[in-house]
Amino acid sequence: MIQPDTITGEVIEGQLAALMFLVAGRQFAVDLGRVQHILEYRRPTRTPRRPPFVEGIIHHKNRFLPVLNLRKRLGVEEEGPANPAILLMVGTGRDPVLALVVDRVLRVLSLPGDRWMAPPPRMFGIRAEFIRGVANDGGRPVVWVDDAKLLTSPEPIGLLA
Amino acid sequence: MQFLGPATRRNRQPQATAPTESFLLFRVGEETYGMGLQGIREVIEPRESAAIVPMGFQVCMVLPHRGQRLPVIRMRALFDVSPDETSATARVLVIREGHRTVGLLVDEVLSVAEVDPQRICPLPAMATLLDPALFRGVVARQDRLLVVMNERGLAEFEEVGAFYAGGV
Repeated sequence: MIQPDTITGEVIEGQLAALMFLVAGRQFAVDLGRVQHILEYRRPTRTPRRPPFVEGIIHHKNRFLPVLNLRKRLGVEEEGPANPAILLMVGTGRDPVLALVVDRVLRVLSLPGDRWMAPPPRMFGIRAEFIRGVANDGGRPVVWVDDAKLLTSPEPIGLLA
Repeated sequence: MQFLGPATRRNRQPQATAPTESFLLFRVGEETYGMGLQGIREVIEPRESAAIVPMGFQVCMVLPHRGQRLPVIRMRALFDVSPDETSATARVLVIREGHRTVGLLVDEVLSVAEVDPQRICPLPAMATLLDPALFRGVVARQDRLLVVMNERGLAEFEEVGAFYAGGV
């Protein structure tokens, strides 16, 4: 188990801090404050008639958590890496905590608020409604997703190749 | 003479054991599920040649049983496990909840396990699209997770209700 503050990157007071990660070669980020822990991947127990992007459930510290796969949520058909990472996130709705599977955790990204730009109507094929902002990190875009909306909306998404 | 101090006396006192409940473990597809043994009246072999699937029913079928008609929930259909077919090891768990007797067609009956019912927690809401009332919860057992079914929820399943309402 990895605490978010052990990941490289500095959180600077007054700036917006996000945890960066990769999904299908794209850089994404979520609010660092919504990330509780980072875990190594473990195979979940499959539950019946689960949503397409839900892999099942895991047991962590006396809690049972739904495991959501962000690759599948973003409509990526290709299999991900053999050892993805699990972000334990503040949940939405009736699940107080949920486990989000991403390809690889990168680092903490702390930027002033004005460095996060409003998203275009679509970014990587994702509608702006699901994006909190876009930043530039070393010449590569980083998409800060609104995980609460993204994971609870039934709207299908197709990540552009 | 041997001195038994307070620490030794504490260690020798019998440990209180948590009360357990017996659960029948069964397989549907590749996953194992559980149901309280107390609610299970009998386990029978399915006679699918005698099965009737009422018009409009997606999940349930009706089997003759002891001179009566028994509504049977095909668990593979309920759980959307493909292919929707019956294995040679399949069995019907006959449960009775209130005034309703219902059968559950499962792929295989496995074993009986003792579980502390206090350790059964609600199934996470995002884990399934099915009615939460069908599940009693989930429990960690021997490094595995066991999803436990709810007899009452199954007896109140929509198609079972339609059967007993006389619409079949």
